[in-house]
Amino acid sequence: MSAPSTTTALGASIEDPTAAASTVDAVKSYGSGEAEVRALNGVTVAFDRGRFTAIMGPSGSGKSTLLHCLAGLDTLTSGDVRLGGRSLTGLGEKQLTLLRRDRMGFVFQAFNLLPTLTAAENIQLPLDLAGRPVDREWFETVVRAVGLQDRLDHTPAQLSGGQQQRVAAARALVTRPEIVFADEPTGALDSRSGADLLAFLRRAVDEFGQTIVMVTHDPVAASHADRVVFLADGRIVDELAAPTTETVLDAMKRLGS
Amino acid sequence: MRKVILKGLLARKLRLALTAVSISLGVAFVTGTFVLGDTMTATFDQLYEGLTEGTDVTVRGESAFTDTTTLGATKPFDADVLPTVQDVDGVAAAAGSVTGYALILDKDGEPVQPGGAPTLGASYTTDPALAGGFTLRDGAAPTGPQDVVLDAATAKAHGFVPGDPVTILLTDGPRDFTVTGIAGFGDADNLAGATIATFDLATAQDALGRTGVYDTIAVRGESGVDADELRDRVAAALPDGLEAVTSAEVVAESSAAVADALGFFTTGLLGFAAISLLVGALIIWNTFSILVAQRTRELALLRAVGASRRQVRFSVVAEAFVIGLVSAALGLGLGLGVAAGLRAALAVVGIEVPTTTLQVEPRTIAAALLVGVVVTVLAALLPARQATRVAPVAALRAVDAPARPVGRTRIAAGALLTVLGAAGLAAAMVEEGRLGLAAVAMLLTLAGVLTLAPPIATVVTRLIGAPLARLGGTTAQLARRNALRSPRRTANTATALMIGLALVSTVTVVASSMKASVADVIADSSRADFILKGAGQASPGLPPQLAAELRGVDGVGTVSEMRFASAQVDGATTFVSAVDPATAETAADLEVTSGSVADLGSGSVLVSDKVAQAKGWTVGDTVPITYAQTGEQSLTVVGTYANTALLGSDYVTDLAVHDANGGTALDVAVLVVAADGADLDDVRAGLETVVDAYPVAQLDDEASFTESQAQTIDQLLAIVTMLLALAVIIALLGIVNTLALSVFERTRELGLLRAVGMTRRQVRAVVRWEAVIVAVLGALLGAVLGLAFGAALTRGLAGEGLSVLAIPGGRLALYVLFAALAGVLAAIGPARRAARVDVLHAVAAA
Repeated sequence: MSAPSTTTALGASIEDPTAAASTVDAVKSYGSGEAEVRALNGVTVAFDRGRFTAIMGPSGSGKSTLLHCLAGLDTLTSGDVRLGGRSLTGLGEKQLTLLRRDRMGFVFQAFNLLPTLTAAENIQLPLDLAGRPVDREWFETVVRAVGLQDRLDHTPAQLSGGQQQRVAAARALVTRPEIVFADEPTGALDSRSGADLLAFLRRAVDEFGQTIVMVTHDPVAASHADRVVFLADGRIVDELAAPTTETVLDAMKRLGS
Repeated sequence: MRKVILKGLLARKLRLALTAVSISLGVAFVTGTFVLGDTMTATFDQLYEGLTEGTDVTVRGESAFTDTTTLGATKPFDADVLPTVQDVDGVAAAAGSVTGYALILDKDGEPVQPGGAPTLGASYTTDPALAGGFTLRDGAAPTGPQDVVLDAATAKAHGFVPGDPVTILLTDGPRDFTVTGIAGFGDADNLAGATIATFDLATAQDALGRTGVYDTIAVRGESGVDADELRDRVAAALPDGLEAVTSAEVVAESSAAVADALGFFTTGLLGFAAISLLVGALIIWNTFSILVAQRTRELALLRAVGASRRQVRFSVVAEAFVIGLVSAALGLGLGLGVAAGLRAALAVVGIEVPTTTLQVEPRTIAAALLVGVVVTVLAALLPARQATRVAPVAALRAVDAPARPVGRTRIAAGALLTVLGAAGLAAAMVEEGRLGLAAVAMLLTLAGVLTLAPPIATVVTRLIGAPLARLGGTTAQLARRNALRSPRRTANTATALMIGLALVSTVTVVASSMKASVADVIADSSRADFILKGAGQASPGLPPQLAAELRGVDGVGTVSEMRFASAQVDGATTFVSAVDPATAETAADLEVTSGSVADLGSGSVLVSDKVAQAKGWTVGDTVPITYAQTGEQSLTVVGTYANTALLGSDYVTDLAVHDANGGTALDVAVLVVAADGADLDDVRAGLETVVDAYPVAQLDDEASFTESQAQTIDQLLAIVTMLLALAVIIALLGIVNTLALSVFERTRELGLLRAVGMTRRQVRAVVRWEAVIVAVLGALLGAVLGLAFGAALTRGLAGEGLSVLAIPGGRLALYVLFAALAGVLAAIGPARRAARVDVLHAVAAA
């Protein structure tokens, strides 16, 4: 497959060797013929290394689909997804699983943890699955960063929703992944816990150089990112750099969502 | 409500099928047992009716009871009675007949020995009206001392046609005859599997040891004479000790005897069926508990929109009812297969059941439906109660309620039962002969362990999970946590397997103790160099002529034969052995504790220490022993002995007393001691030349005898294990069911695991490890219980010949290993399903 050389609707070049992940002409459609629905309708986007990007858009805009395809949880109908320099297209189920395990981190909206494992065990889970040793120093750094030092032996049932999401965030970081995907990570949290979690994600980018891609519909959450990409009807329709809550809200109004 | 129930059932077809199978296997067992029993009864009834056709009244010796060792033979009586009977007013015809032992040898000289059925010799009834269903199909009736008519089944199977020579083994040795005819019994080729050789009356009397006597006289009345009236008239003319019975009475008696024997047999099979049903009920209970827990939100929603508690309970019970009905119907169909299977299994050990169409009585159908529905509904009652406790508000709760902890009362009760049971088992192991205590302690322990199962499961799962987690890494660790998260579920699943394994292990311990004990008894108390017994399970014994011929072999010092009769003492049936007092002690050590074997003679008896102590008898006392043919005999105790294991009886008489009282004229065993200085190989060669003419005899030395006894025990063990295997299979289905339900319930977790990088192989491993943990948990508990049960039973049976307790450790370990492998098999389906979980669907549903 040829190297990506197209440009986005906004003219920004995405032929960028520093991109942690990117898509080219990503199309995802369901059904066929007249019933065909395009969740993604030609999305070309790149996510820079060491940056925190938010994906926004109204319900049904395709933002979650984009995230799932980037993460190898779902496959494209056509187009290409790249992680680092490597195309995910055509990879087998097992290869995708190993990629997720070794090179990606995940924070979902809810149900991020295994109820049978303690916080510490949940954090180490991807390493244990890979049979990789735990880097103690890094583990403690991450745990300190999420402020869970005193809760490591607790099971998820003994943790608050905010604490559970921070455990999930720590798990996402512990493998030093190339990229962390967060799907509405604050969606089920109160504003205070949500702010704590976002502050942590911000620190992960600033202090550890982590790359994060987050889907959200919350302008406040998006304001923590370095850049916001707006989706509507399966296409990228706008983009904001250095967003604030206000600029995000303005953009959303402009887009009529 | 009906729609809700039906839709619920249809939405879970696979689960419904799995659940139904666990009950239907038990139902199939019940059905199979009834069908087989009914079929056998019907077959025998038909036979007896056919046999007595044409005969109105039978004259025979009076019996005190029906002796099974002689097939209910009555005492022969003087042939002079016949003219007296013929002279009775109203008698149209009367003919005497004799019956005895006659073993046909096939053309290769091998015995035609049917399994379980007798080998009969009889006199040929010349009056066709009195012959019943017995009719000549080919050739001619026997008329001379060389003539014999064979039953059609034997003739067909071994290619005999009129004119062929045939050798028949009689109690006085082999004799050569010529086949003059082939006879059938109505449509049947033989009588309930028995082989029959018929001779003319004089030859039969001579060949069967009945010279000048008859066993029975068949009487036909003149037309118009009522059978009861005829019986009374004949009876009035008979001397003392003889009786007259109508054919209706004979048929009723025989049917009752068959029903009796079958009753024992079917009760045993129903016991095994009950075990399967118990295990099935455990599975149903567990399944419904899980279903109710999983459907908490659905049930709460029903309650929230206005369903009453009663309606909710009804919905669960109704589901159970439908499952029960489906299982029962399935089981009924399977039961016919089971009946055929049981018949085949019995044939393997030599108990052949005559083939007729399988009898399906309305009672069988009713029992199957009742058992299926009642067991299923009962097992679902507790979960149904749990369902009514779901509060409507639970529909709104996001988090599932945590597993209910086990109540303190339950733990206390379980601990008490277990401790009492364990103490009882320990006591039964320490003191011999406490069989009752052992049985009660077994039940207490089982009840205790079942009550305590969840905490026990937690502890044991931790124990066996730890090494597995080291062995299997993260996947095994996750599996262990999963097994621990719902102790009730794990415990219920494992205990189903535990029950089956406990029973198999118990039987294994008892069987290996039996083998060790037999070897021990032979080594300790047999002084014989060679032992001869009837070959095969079904052989009733050896013609006494064999022992007589063995005495003539060069180098043989002593030949001592043993016989076996059943008799009654104080109304209870017991066995009486008979030995030759002159030689018995040379061949075997009875461990005489008072008196002496040599004092045995007419009118005397040896009594075992155990019985002597229980009844307070000592040497010189008189003991009343009732024989079937001769009634009560007063025998004087001339000695007591300790070694009951060798002979297997508590009474010993000399051979003459045995014969005089109508005991079987066959030796159950013949012991041979070589003369001093004789070369054993030479002696064996000499013995073999004699035995060659008696293919029914098996010649063994001590080692090979022990070995062949062990084989017999192994065969029995195999059958019992097979019958228990059904319960084990049901328990394994339970593991499949529980795992499938757990996988279903953990869809989101599995999705999460897959999302963060668990491979499909790892997902399968997690499910597989959990199955292995549950299976090993159940098997381990079962093996430990079985070990204790078996040890207690063996010690309890010490007085019945189980003198040695042997623990088959390797075999029990093998069971646990098999269970682990079975766990892997049980996990295949659920593991595949777990690996197929759609990651996106699972995480997106969050």
